[in-house]
Amino acid sequence: MEVSVIGSSSQAKICKTELAYRDLRFCFGKNNDKSKILSRKPNSVCFESQTARFRKARLRFTLEAVHSEAVLESKSSTGSNSLDKVRLFVGLPLDTVSDCNTVNHARAIAAGLKALKLLGVEGVELPVWWGVVENEAMGKYGWSGYLAVAEMVQKADLKLHVSLCFHASRQPKIPLPKWVMQIGESQSSIFFRDRSGQHYRESLSLAVDDLAVLNGKTPIQVYHDFCASFKSAFSPFIGSTIMGISMGLGPDGELRYPSHHKPAKSDKITGIGEFQCYDLNMLNLLKQHAEANGNPLWGLGGPHDAPTYHQSPNSNNFFRDHGGSWESPYGDFFLSWYSNELISHGNRLLSLASSIFGDTAVNVYGKVPLMYSWYKTRAHPCELTAGFYNTASRDGYEAVAQMFARNSCKIILPGMDLSDAHQPHESLSSPELLLAQIRTACGKHKVQVSGQNLASGAPGSFQQIKKNMLGENVLDLFTYQRMGAHFFSPEHFPSFTEFVRSLSQPELHSDDLLAEEEEATESVHTSSDANIQMQAA
Amino acid sequence: MTTVAIDSLLPKPGLSFRPKANVLLKPSRSLNCYRNPKLLFSRGACSCSFKPGRRIHVVEASSTDAAVIDTFEAFSSDDVLYKETFPVKRIEKVEGKIYIRLDQSEDQKNWQLAVGCSLPGKWILHWGVSYVGDSGSEWDQPPKDMRPPGSIPIKDYAIETPLKKLSKGDMFHEVKIELNPSSAIAAIHFVLKDEETGAWYQHRGRDFKVPLVDYLEDDGNMVGAKRGFGIWPGALGQFSNMLLKSETSQANAQSSSKESKDSKKENRQLEGFYEEQSIVKKVPMGNFVSVAVRKCSETSKNILYLETDIPGDVLVHWGVCRDDVQTWEIPAAPYPPETTVFKNKALRTQLQPKGTGNGSRASFTLDEDLVGFLFVLKLEDNTWSKFKGNDFFIPLSGATSVVGQLAQSDSVSEEISSKAYTDGIITGIRNLVSGLNSKKSQKTKTKEAQESILQEIEKLAAEAYSIFRSSITTFSEEAVLEIEAPKPAVKISSGTGTGFEILCQGFNWESHKSGRWYMELKEKASEISSLGFTVIWLPPPTESVSPEGYMPKDLYNLNSRYGTIDELKELIKSLHEVGLKVLGDVVLNHRCAHYQNQNGVWNIFGGRLDWDDRAVVGDDPHFQGRGNKSSGDNFHAAPNIDHSQEFVRKDLKEWLCWLREEIGYDGWRLDFVRGFWGGYVKDYLDASEPYFVVGEYWDSLNYTYSEMDHDQDAHRQRIVDWINATNGAGGAFDVTTKGILHSALGKCEYWRLSDQKGKPPGVVGWWPSRAVTFIENHDTGSTQGHWRFPGGKEMQGYAYILTHPGTPAVFYDHVFSHYRSEIAALISLRNRNKIHCRSTVKIVKAERDVYAAIIDDKLAMKIGPGSYEPPSGSQRWSSALEGNGYKVWELS
Repeated sequence: MEVSVIGSSSQAKICKTELAYRDLRFCFGKNNDKSKILSRKPNSVCFESQTARFRKARLRFTLEAVHSEAVLESKSSTGSNSLDKVRLFVGLPLDTVSDCNTVNHARAIAAGLKALKLLGVEGVELPVWWGVVENEAMGKYGWSGYLAVAEMVQKADLKLHVSLCFHASRQPKIPLPKWVMQIGESQSSIFFRDRSGQHYRESLSLAVDDLAVLNGKTPIQVYHDFCASFKSAFSPFIGSTIMGISMGLGPDGELRYPSHHKPAKSDKITGIGEFQCYDLNMLNLLKQHAEANGNPLWGLGGPHDAPTYHQSPNSNNFFRDHGGSWESPYGDFFLSWYSNELISHGNRLLSLASSIFGDTAVNVYGKVPLMYSWYKTRAHPCELTAGFYNTASRDGYEAVAQMFARNSCKIILPGMDLSDAHQPHESLSSPELLLAQIRTACGKHKVQVSGQNLASGAPGSFQQIKKNMLGENVLDLFTYQRMGAHFFSPEHFPSFTEFVRSLSQPELHSDDLLAEEEEATESVHTSSDANIQMQAA
Repeated sequence: MTTVAIDSLLPKPGLSFRPKANVLLKPSRSLNCYRNPKLLFSRGACSCSFKPGRRIHVVEASSTDAAVIDTFEAFSSDDVLYKETFPVKRIEKVEGKIYIRLDQSEDQKNWQLAVGCSLPGKWILHWGVSYVGDSGSEWDQPPKDMRPPGSIPIKDYAIETPLKKLSKGDMFHEVKIELNPSSAIAAIHFVLKDEETGAWYQHRGRDFKVPLVDYLEDDGNMVGAKRGFGIWPGALGQFSNMLLKSETSQANAQSSSKESKDSKKENRQLEGFYEEQSIVKKVPMGNFVSVAVRKCSETSKNILYLETDIPGDVLVHWGVCRDDVQTWEIPAAPYPPETTVFKNKALRTQLQPKGTGNGSRASFTLDEDLVGFLFVLKLEDNTWSKFKGNDFFIPLSGATSVVGQLAQSDSVSEEISSKAYTDGIITGIRNLVSGLNSKKSQKTKTKEAQESILQEIEKLAAEAYSIFRSSITTFSEEAVLEIEAPKPAVKISSGTGTGFEILCQGFNWESHKSGRWYMELKEKASEISSLGFTVIWLPPPTESVSPEGYMPKDLYNLNSRYGTIDELKELIKSLHEVGLKVLGDVVLNHRCAHYQNQNGVWNIFGGRLDWDDRAVVGDDPHFQGRGNKSSGDNFHAAPNIDHSQEFVRKDLKEWLCWLREEIGYDGWRLDFVRGFWGGYVKDYLDASEPYFVVGEYWDSLNYTYSEMDHDQDAHRQRIVDWINATNGAGGAFDVTTKGILHSALGKCEYWRLSDQKGKPPGVVGWWPSRAVTFIENHDTGSTQGHWRFPGGKEMQGYAYILTHPGTPAVFYDHVFSHYRSEIAALISLRNRNKIHCRSTVKIVKAERDVYAAIIDDKLAMKIGPGSYEPPSGSQRWSSALEGNGYKVWELS
């Protein structure tokens, strides 16, 4: 949780003391009152200022221990904290850095960064691709393109949130590293496989996490080295420009199985997906697990009566609302195993990331998908195939939130722009209810949530985002996806601008007035004159 | 000695702080203070005070002797609340000279070039040679035997040789280069570099050049005179500071004797010379400002003592604050002597010379309830000295942490300096921030600030958009297509009609002459409609000072030289009847006044909109408006309307709505939209909800030496920026395309019709749905002919715009001319193939004499004398239309 606190100068001390409260939850008063930090929960702390002298300090709380770091902020941003308060990020284009390690449309991005800065956006999110950085050979990292972007961001005085992508992207096409794909050609079992034998080549199967399949190293080791190299290459930025890092956890960076090999066409209702437990290593794990449970016959494969990708839940027996096999002891056995494997996988990656970045000021994030289709059925088939054992009778997100809490990581949730009203009725989906459920689980385990949108500029999406951002549970930050031609198009950008401006509170308390603004501008002018003189020298 | 402007090409202003004892500093203002053992504070005093562990510029204060001045010393006792010494950086100009001497060595065989400099520094001669017969300005490395010891080759074209002191006590640094006159070296080129500051010293912005043979090419940067070449025009005059010394004549004698020895090399008449040039080196100087605060026990006031060693008159520009945000205010008297009030915002106190004669000081008595003392210093040469770019802040209440305060101002300044596009944007953000704080008196001002920021954001977004959009990555392309494609074909998007519009300009520059144009046009209504036009643009309808209508006076008076208001209504009605939409030509930029103000200036309006001079922009001295500055360019013949005024906008919106409802116009042709911000246009369009809008954003294309640039991106960008500012609510005339057609068709440069990305080079290549393409209008052509389309090429122009995306506009004079049938055929071809403003163009040929393109895979066209045939593959193209220099095919 990251909170900006304004208080007295003695506050540094308060922050340094280890707070025993596990339930700290600060948020700002609406009118931006400088003298008080309001707390929403009755048992939380309330800082009150005693002297007339305030300073802004930024506190970082991780779950059990309290890190604190007093960052003194400048006077100019004191004035603009109505904008600061909204921690809004915008994603940079997925192909910001291409495979030859050059920055694509750098000029557009530079202009875009300026525009965002002027709008009051706090920072940008940068996808960093495994397939770009470590493309040629294992351990051979090329960070130059990304470093150039980080520098641009720093120059623009924006923050940077880095997403480490250990997956591939279809559009724009960014595959896994060449050498990994080569290994995969002879050894396809490093990829997920579905019942029909199709491989998913856009991320590695979680079953190989600890197997030395990559030139004698395990994927976990390779990810570890990647992160460590990232850390050393970006050390000048970490903690100053880079404030957050998302750890790629699976397909599309999300913690899930690739249960939908191909996204459904937009005019069709998303199908339920399929279980992805048919690669050799997954089957091995399943077999061992079944044998250990005394049911060796259950370990021979996945559920035989599950429908295929785009079928509806009721087209076969497994997900049937009533009497479906998911409710049988076998169903419970399988689904527990399947979802536990995913959580263990997430745990491996997040603990890896926390161990590397734990000693820095950055927060580590992981993304959890919003499998909202068919949420209103009892079985929640979409979530089940994706690896979340969440049904009408079982909360599958508690364990996930707990895993994040254990690693002091924050959760990114996409789909904050989706409202139930815009879902096709027949899909029985509910993004809002699912989001609420996950956020409740996170709240229980004190995991901070940050948001993302799925579509961009769909009707009503901005209102929905705003609702999610400013609602009862305050978001850690929100990352708007994503910069590009559409983002800046006249069809979209004006509404985005309006959205950002509407987030900042229009009416400020009178003591926030920058009364000496004329003087302030004057001094800026004179200093710029001085600069000009120096330039001429 | 006169000073020649020698450019010091200092790459970065970030000079390191380097106080140096300096013997050569010129007048008495020099910093001999450093040598004064009685002055200033120890190094310790200066560095210890800077909070360790924070980001600070470490101050290298060197060579100051530890001795503290009496007054400041007195503050070291217990009652001191605050004591601090700040470094102050200044740039001091130090004058010196460079000399260049060419003479013969003692053995009379070789020559010697000596370059010296009188200023201290780490001087490096960066030099090279050129050989006889070399052309161009490239340097070569000199032969090895010419290089003095210590030389370092720089790449393969230059040598760097350090200048050395002749002897220990000498103030000159010098380097000598031996020359063999029989070598083929034509000239020595050099620049002088000071490694200490990184500054380069050149001669008139170019290299110094010492010609050794008859160097014919006099490009103005030669040094040294020559004899034997009779005419050296202006050589002396060019060097106002050149001092020919007695050595010259001596050298002359030498050279002539050599001449006789070496008679074969007649043209190598080398001649010794000696020349001096003065240079100015900017030396960063370190000074100090010391401040101490003491509580006065008797008065319980704070005494603030300030002193500095900056030479000359120093003015303290100061104020106090009562809170943390460092709001300047003026404290109650008493003030120190020689204090004046500056603009009611600050006080200015002249520092008094200190007793010791070095530096100056002042002391201030301040009430104890004040939180801080703020100041900046104004130095004699009108520069300001600040604390790392920010005000100095001296906390007055003892309890507060000094460190924090300083750190605060510290980080402010660093933040400011670290930004690439610093000041403007910072100011902007401040304005925006203050803009959000709604203080009533500032309402208009802050609104403007906000708008200018939004405008800036929009500009940036437009730039980003255009680049993302034009970049070839399939990703963004698809994204764009997705937005455009799903639009159903007949959906009317605001301001741009159906997308299938074809515009007819329904008048020319002479149309007012008959006095009954509306009635004449009415008779042609069905004819115009039958030609395939969907939109017609009528002349400006308001009462106007000029008969053509572009100098409107009373906006609600629609009786003009074109006809009466009733005739206009009647015309519009009959145009509607034949299915034409009607655009009104509205002039919003300027308006002619009815009355004079007290100074006799015409800026008071009458009629229904009886605005006063607040409606006139304030930055056009001709009309003495009291409004704000114009948000665009000024049109100088009439008072420009200040659209930032709420009441003006309200009235104009009402007027447009009246024109829509009462008169029946469907949309607008907006005159001279360069004159005001597009954001206001958006406002007007939002209010009047026109069916179709086109703005006239006409400025000059980019030319280099009268040759039009191929890349007109900047030009079309300006138009796109305007459209963007209107939020895309309307289109704009594609002036870029017209300009490029001029060159392409007029000069047979058809290659111009493809931009670097292989798209049409005008606005139509970037934002086709908002581009209104045209080749002529009442200004460019007609009887005015300000920018007439190349004669005889009109049909090629129409073959281009009527087959391409964008909304084509056809000029009245062309509709009713011998081109009429050809134009009609092109229009019907366009309509038959359902080419619309968003159609896709595939340019297949853009060569010197031919341009060809395929549009929407339905039409193929070529213009120009060169040959082109559409591909004969699975698609069968058949010729649909052919004319002078153009041909169009359609799929059969």
